[in-house]
Amino acid sequence: MKSLRPNSLATLVVILFGIALFYWGTDGFTAYTAESARVNRLLDARPTFPQTTFEDSKGRSYSISEFEGKYVFVTFFYSACSTVCVQLEGNMGQVYEAIPAERHGQEIVFLSVSFDPDRDDPARLEEYRTFFDSDGETWRMARVPDRAELNRLLDEFGVIVIPDESGGFAHNSAFYLVDPAGTLIDVMDYTQPEEAANEVVRILGQKRGDGG
Amino acid sequence: MKQSVYGLVLFILLALPPVAGLMESLMIAHMHMQMPLLVASGFLMAKWGQIRFPRFWERWNANGVPGILLFAIVAVYWMLPRAMDEALAFPGMEAFKFVSLSLLCGMPLRDSWPKIGYAAKSAVIIGFTLLFAGMGLLYVIAPVQLCNNYLLLEQIALGWGFLTTAFCMVIFIIYHVFTRHSAYE
Repeated sequence: MKSLRPNSLATLVVILFGIALFYWGTDGFTAYTAESARVNRLLDARPTFPQTTFEDSKGRSYSISEFEGKYVFVTFFYSACSTVCVQLEGNMGQVYEAIPAERHGQEIVFLSVSFDPDRDDPARLEEYRTFFDSDGETWRMARVPDRAELNRLLDEFGVIVIPDESGGFAHNSAFYLVDPAGTLIDVMDYTQPEEAANEVVRILGQKRGDGG
Repeated sequence: MKQSVYGLVLFILLALPPVAGLMESLMIAHMHMQMPLLVASGFLMAKWGQIRFPRFWERWNANGVPGILLFAIVAVYWMLPRAMDEALAFPGMEAFKFVSLSLLCGMPLRDSWPKIGYAAKSAVIIGFTLLFAGMGLLYVIAPVQLCNNYLLLEQIALGWGFLTTAFCMVIFIIYHVFTRHSAYE
């Protein structure tokens, strides 16, 4: 049995290695999927909204500076999507409803960004927005006509879009909140609109408090 | 010694960019072909390690427990959806996948398996059967995409792959329990 001591030591080392591997591989046991890791990374990095030109459902073109001084609640979708996007935009509508109406457009603007600029032209967006009772003003739907700009925006916000065989896209979804200075400050679970609404109201309330 | 060369050839073959790219393009091939083959390459190469460093294995893996634990930890780690995504996203993780599955998973398995007792072997087989069944159910039932790099349909295919493997392992266990081994030994 004289050889059992190194053996026990090796067992201990292996167990410690295992704990370290899983700790490191899951960001301290918090992120078991790449999606949760992505959200953690985004919240650390807090990217600013890149220079992007939008074209909205009314055919207007503008950049993110259009919303300067306001919070922007952003989602990424495409109108031909029949599954996740419907839920995503529907839940976005619930958040919109839950925010007091006097704040719409004054303190916060809702923006649904399509990543399918070929099909989602202003006419299509104009039709699509009516499905969700978006007014096209305080909740706008827009595409990014420039591919390079679109890819940069998706990249900055960690949105992964993979075309599938049937002309659709597989993509990850979340609610994004951009502060008045254009910095991404929060990424929220799109399946929990009530939680997201509470969070937005809390952040808006803070800003009011600060501003006096 | 010959089989170690086969193991090395298998490893190099798997590491060739076109082969790796092809296998990783399909989720189920990534997890159920590439990863087990990497373990197999380490398993074959282990012979060389055992001949070359017999003292090392005798000393540090005397009863086989450290080796089998290392095997299990590394194998379970690579079943995390995130680990698979990151292997595709970061070249460093991809390299770690190749090295860890062959050297830290296949090699210790080879050395440990004959050393550990019947109870430990049963625990490993039953443990992995339950784990495969659990992972299979997770991938089949999960309504959300767990991996950013693969489509939901591929995820469901992977889930059924896991369930099939678990099913085969259950058959093996039943067969093992209901055969009188003494009659054949």
